[in-house]
Amino acid sequence: MKKPNLKKGIEKLVKADKKKALRDFVYGKPHGERRLGDNYLPKSGLYKHREWRGVKDTMYYFNNIWLYNYGTIVGEVLKHNPILFVKGIWRYRWMGQTYLTVLHWFDRCLEGERDQVLRASAWHLNGLVKACLFQIGGMFDRDIKIGGSETLRDRTMAHDETVWGGVFYPYRDQIDNIPLQMIPYFVTCHCNSHTVLNYIDAAQSIGLPGDPCPMCQAEAGVFVQDDMPDYYRAVITSNEACDGSVGTSVIQDWMMNKPLYAMPQPMRFDDESLVENCAKEIEGAFRFIEEQMGAEFHWDELVKQLEEQNKLQRFEREKWDVAANTKYSPINAPAQALYRIFSSQYGNSYIWHETDARVKKILDKCVEQKINTFPLTRHRAIAWSCAPLYYSALGTWGYNCWGINTIINMDSLMFDMEVRTDSYENTLHDMAVYHEWAPMRRMAVGGLHHVFELWENMEKFNCDFVLMYDQLQCKGMQGCHGLFEDEFRARDINAIWIPHALPDKRTVSRREQRKIISDYMYTVMGEEPLDPSLVDFDDDNSW
Amino acid sequence: MNKILKFAGKTVGALAAAYAGLFLVFYFDLDGKLLYYVVEPTLIKHYDRMERRDPLAVPYEQIERDYM
Repeated sequence: MKKPNLKKGIEKLVKADKKKALRDFVYGKPHGERRLGDNYLPKSGLYKHREWRGVKDTMYYFNNIWLYNYGTIVGEVLKHNPILFVKGIWRYRWMGQTYLTVLHWFDRCLEGERDQVLRASAWHLNGLVKACLFQIGGMFDRDIKIGGSETLRDRTMAHDETVWGGVFYPYRDQIDNIPLQMIPYFVTCHCNSHTVLNYIDAAQSIGLPGDPCPMCQAEAGVFVQDDMPDYYRAVITSNEACDGSVGTSVIQDWMMNKPLYAMPQPMRFDDESLVENCAKEIEGAFRFIEEQMGAEFHWDELVKQLEEQNKLQRFEREKWDVAANTKYSPINAPAQALYRIFSSQYGNSYIWHETDARVKKILDKCVEQKINTFPLTRHRAIAWSCAPLYYSALGTWGYNCWGINTIINMDSLMFDMEVRTDSYENTLHDMAVYHEWAPMRRMAVGGLHHVFELWENMEKFNCDFVLMYDQLQCKGMQGCHGLFEDEFRARDINAIWIPHALPDKRTVSRREQRKIISDYMYTVMGEEPLDPSLVDFDDDNSW
Repeated sequence: MNKILKFAGKTVGALAAAYAGLFLVFYFDLDGKLLYYVVEPTLIKHYDRMERRDPLAVPYEQIERDYM
């Protein structure tokens, strides 16, 4: 780290344009002058100091994001048993190593954001914090490994994170359901990319090969390390997103040793007879829940939960509509993507409704006042295929550095449907379809027609640019690489391939990804960066 | 009355000092630095030393049941 030169600093201050300095202090520097990359400490990605965004936005960030979210964490912990939280931090690597650093994840995702974008995006992230703490608290309250309640454990079911929470809607007034991997695996990769590496290595340490999808390896590794809380009586697993997940379930079944129902969904789901089959699998899950938990099927509860979920879906479409057809959307790329994938997979929750109500006010304000929320947009991008979990802030960087504004991404578009509630048959049919349209299923392994939904979504969202994620260990999507290359050429589309290994940052680092994008922007597009300090910096050891 | 005013003044002063202190923690990313350089390495050492069960010693059993 370079030592600060006080003499030079004073000389610079004396020579500076006082009026401009005052304007920058009050309003923050304009986009091209921020030099956000100069704020980083080498390797760690920590900040010499957090960004000065002008008086109003800095104080908003300090009061309404930093203090508010630390307060949210304390408040949510106090809703559960705080002693169990402390024990959980001490017992589980994924907890202690990851979730204490959550405010830095806010910093990375919200870098450079101002005004309404800062507010709406932060509310999305706050919703995610609450939803995570709801699940963490739920796990610890029931976890008999750290002294949780056996009574609560006996009324709780676990499920693959890729089993949509809607399967439990008919029983929500009687039992609880908490996904297995969403907290110990999925969210950890976004907050602290170090944690997951232990679990990937753990899976390989028992002799499993290193070339399957690292998501499956990591999810199995949590069990190999005995790092899964014992909070549930029975489990429902799934073959989502692909057959790699079946392998994970075999390992999990071995380590859990609990009653388990496997609920597979068809890969190539366009055939209507397969939907019927999928519906039967869901009915099988109902019977399993009833037998294991002694719960009864409550149609009214199912309808109530589905109607509330449909309301969330309608608002999501409203957000998409604004993003697709105007310049007024106040939600940045990581906030949009993570909130959508988490909420649509987990299912209905009061947390999403509270968050949506707050975001709607901001969205309406932006539309009514015609606020151009991303004024330096040079390219409207669509991100396709599954994204690197260790770099959720890539979209924020893309806009700050090159003016690439990611409007929408593939995973967000997956569950794009409302579930009918007019009859048992229609509801079951739609629940089956909903499940088949899960992340990485519909458009990644659901057949070429669905993988190529990219083209119509580019048009729908008025995008001129593709950020094409290239998951190096996904055998399914690797098979489509050449087909996409041909289509990009034939359609004359600017597309940047961004290689990654989902949660494993060791394969392709964030720095390498940025270099690939920057090389493309310099050489193919002939453009210069908006913020040159962000083109190259070393954050290899950062969270 | 004087005592009450003094107490109120001291309370406001303490709150203002705490607020300013928190702002310094925020602005200079001191929370991040503490977590990165102290808390995380300490916890990692602890997790690495933890005794864990041998996963390969867990018996594999399957309960056959038809729910379809």
